[in-house]
Amino acid sequence: MENMKVLVVDDEGDFIELFVKRLKKRQIDIIGVESGYRALDILKKEKIDVVLLDVKMPGMDGIDTLREIKTKYPLIEVIMITGHGSVESGLQGMIHGAYDYVLKPFDLEVLLNKLKKAFERKRLKEKA
Amino acid sequence: MRKKLGNIFRIFKKKEHTEEDLEELRLSFKERYHSFKLLLSANNSALEVMGAIDQALQGNNPFGMSFIRASSTAASVSVYKLIKHLNEISNNKYTELFLRFEEIQDSIQKILSQKKTIKDEVMVVPLRSVDRDMYDLVGSKMANIGEIKNKISLKVPPGFVITSCAYNLFIEHNHLQDEIDRRLQSVEADNIEELYTVSSKIQNLIINSKIPQKLEEDIKTSWDELAKEAGKEITVAMRSSAFGEDTEDNSFAGQYRSELNVSFDHIFDAYKEIIASKYSLTAITYRLNKGFKDEDIFMSVGCMVMVDAVCGGVMYSRSPLDINDDSIFINSSWGLPKTVVDGNSDCDLFVVSRKNMEITYRDIKNKKNKFVCYPKEGVCRVDITGENANLQSVSDIDICQLSKLAIKMEDHYLSPQDIEWAINQIGEVFILQCRPLKQMENLKIDYPEDLSNKENLITSGGITICPGVGSGKVVLVKTGADILSFTEGSVLVTNQALPRWASLLNRAKAVITEQGSFAGHFANVAREFRVPSIFGLKGILEKLNNGDIVTVDANAKRIYRGKVEISYNNLGEKKNFMEGSPVYETLREVSRLIVPLNLLDPDSFEFKPLSCKTFHDITRFAHEKSVHEMFEFGKTHNFSEKSSKQLFYKVPMQWWVLNLDDGFKEEVIGKYVHLDNIVSVPMLTIWDGIIAIPWDGPPIDGKGLMSVMFQATTNTSLSVGTRSKYTERNYFMISKNYCSLTSRLGFHFLVVESMISDRTRENYIRFQFKGGAADYNRRVRRVQFVGEVLEKYGFKSEVIKDTIICSLDAQEKDFMLSRLKIIGYITIHTRQLDMIMNGEARINYYRDKLHSDINKILS
Repeated sequence: MENMKVLVVDDEGDFIELFVKRLKKRQIDIIGVESGYRALDILKKEKIDVVLLDVKMPGMDGIDTLREIKTKYPLIEVIMITGHGSVESGLQGMIHGAYDYVLKPFDLEVLLNKLKKAFERKRLKEKA
Repeated sequence: MRKKLGNIFRIFKKKEHTEEDLEELRLSFKERYHSFKLLLSANNSALEVMGAIDQALQGNNPFGMSFIRASSTAASVSVYKLIKHLNEISNNKYTELFLRFEEIQDSIQKILSQKKTIKDEVMVVPLRSVDRDMYDLVGSKMANIGEIKNKISLKVPPGFVITSCAYNLFIEHNHLQDEIDRRLQSVEADNIEELYTVSSKIQNLIINSKIPQKLEEDIKTSWDELAKEAGKEITVAMRSSAFGEDTEDNSFAGQYRSELNVSFDHIFDAYKEIIASKYSLTAITYRLNKGFKDEDIFMSVGCMVMVDAVCGGVMYSRSPLDINDDSIFINSSWGLPKTVVDGNSDCDLFVVSRKNMEITYRDIKNKKNKFVCYPKEGVCRVDITGENANLQSVSDIDICQLSKLAIKMEDHYLSPQDIEWAINQIGEVFILQCRPLKQMENLKIDYPEDLSNKENLITSGGITICPGVGSGKVVLVKTGADILSFTEGSVLVTNQALPRWASLLNRAKAVITEQGSFAGHFANVAREFRVPSIFGLKGILEKLNNGDIVTVDANAKRIYRGKVEISYNNLGEKKNFMEGSPVYETLREVSRLIVPLNLLDPDSFEFKPLSCKTFHDITRFAHEKSVHEMFEFGKTHNFSEKSSKQLFYKVPMQWWVLNLDDGFKEEVIGKYVHLDNIVSVPMLTIWDGIIAIPWDGPPIDGKGLMSVMFQATTNTSLSVGTRSKYTERNYFMISKNYCSLTSRLGFHFLVVESMISDRTRENYIRFQFKGGAADYNRRVRRVQFVGEVLEKYGFKSEVIKDTIICSLDAQEKDFMLSRLKIIGYITIHTRQLDMIMNGEARINYYRDKLHSDINKILS
């Protein structure tokens, strides 16, 4: 997981704050933002490897943001965050090029494993 | 990527590769290897979720719509990934699978998005125009009472119903549904503590919402009409009336709130509180246990002019405990019938013979208190002083009159009825509620001979609420907080038989209370869940302590210390409450598109994308083809380094090896790879297991063999192409720390996948095994047998029909290797065990043999 840089996008500020704190404790370089627009701004400036993206956000929703990201930065891997109410959008995400999805509330270990695998895949694609 | 593949195609044409070409081929192969690994992981998650669905359909644990949604998505995402990775490996050879996938996915979506809708638009209807066909609009309870009022012309207080459309409008107006779903679906169904919190939050949310103006106006108009009709100031009793409640098997008794003696000042608050009670803890658990879809429950609310009762209660037109008993059972108390219904104090019981209306049994209790109406609004419990407490609360004449009403209603509905009644100051008898009554079969109990003089009898007495025998650990439940600490399989002991304890019934072995009526809500639900129960057993709270083990014989009304074996015909056993429910049926429909496997034989002509009817079919197809594609790569690209080699162990074997990365000691030139050139730790371990103990051939069993022959002629997919019957194909794909083995021998299909190194957390073994040629039952018994054996050695196992998936994760290297060796042994020695899977003795013989072999291998 060395050198992996993660961006987490979720409109729930409390969630972002807690999540960023927990991942930083595990030495993961992570930024959190609260909307799809902000996410795209960050991507302009920073080199991000994996984006964690909430499906349900006001304004530009998760799927729209995913599309933008995959068009502009095809190498970045995206993992969608779905709630039980929006679990069906997990598949929507996959079809639009997401690497995987997690169901909130999730087990941190499960998510870390997915992050790691997404990162591996990104590195492999970069070499190709 | 595409450009690169173009290059590769150009490369084919040349015979010799340059070093640069080789590098490119290696890279291309590496990408495929990566996709292949992802494919296998998707394959495993697809099978796991199918296992979970299959398990849920056994119906031993309740599940809700959120489980179905989450599982369906997990299945579709895994299968989608499988197809995607297969296409990455095969240069988009199988895009047709996406079409099949979409079709199946659409069908699943259609099932999941089915929703009950209400077509009507009326917000409030007067009770005088309601009958039982209107249950959609006014809920079952009010539909029934409307029927009684208008079709049998019994005396029912006038009133109106705030309809299910009004409910919808209220929920939509406040945008509540999404928020409710979100909160509700994020809790684990069996975490009562969390459910409790979520339940109160949702209820608050509802209580703090606004009633749409249009609805307020309609209710006001109806109220004024009602008051005008009564010719005086009125108050009403408000009762929940939801779709699907008040049926014989699903009474929802006492699960929702009622508000008595409500004035207009508080009608809107009371309305919201009743709506909110849809999300009380007991109601949520009840729906979950009975498989009702939350979103299909529309709460209507009935408002009926309050009857200021002198006495009231509940009567049954027949005995709920014995289907052969046609006596009428009348429970009565002073004041409002609430005393009987809530079950918090004792009340009188009368049994009336149907033939001559004679009272054959009367039990007059000391009635300590009663509920009465306050003059303006609300009800209160008052103590009964003086001799009234011990007086019969309803006269013999009224008992006779009530009995006749019960028979009249039964005759109208043509089924036994559960009826709430009240008698006012001037002696008028009102019917307030009625619903079908569930009668139980009479239990036959075989008592051990020495039971009558048992010393461990603690006490006896009380009334049988639900017959049967149950034993377990005593949990004394006094407050709501005790609900949280109630453990599965305990005996619930409490003072009052309150409806709020209903959420514990699914986990209770038996119930004992000091007080409570035969006809209360809690008694109803206890019978529905078939939990042996005794109510009204005085002094029991002092005789029992938390943690005591007791046996409750609800038939004989006796409590024993310790576990006493009393057998009875299991009519009283708990059944699977989910089966047949809307939620259960939804999962069953969805599972038909996910779980069954139709593609059995990869050599058959039918083994193609177009034949895939379920997600399992796609999974099986994609897995088979992925292995094929990986093995083809070297050949089609004329690339020896990544071509498969035949294993040479003493002689050339029917085993093929593909080196994914660093699985060979040195480059292999030519056709064969010798075992000593292999450095893949997991493969060598599996091989050790395979050769550890010689296989003594298929077990012989005349019938088993017949069964195999029979299957071969009836199962077309097994018999098409005779060669499929005895084909043996074993493929290893290896790197130093990784190995996947796909093996088909005749009818057997198995996959082993393992990654083992010093990085403990990444270590895993997956073992999947399916098929066999014997009939279905034997195949199922075999995989269960294999699972049982492997679980002894630390594996987790999951059975989906005749397939088993076993797994072991994140253990130390040496432990993992020892377990992988067991898998190697199992792959050979369980071949065709299905043939002997019909005799207990043979099964035991083979179980012992397997364990003793495995112990040898491990030592």
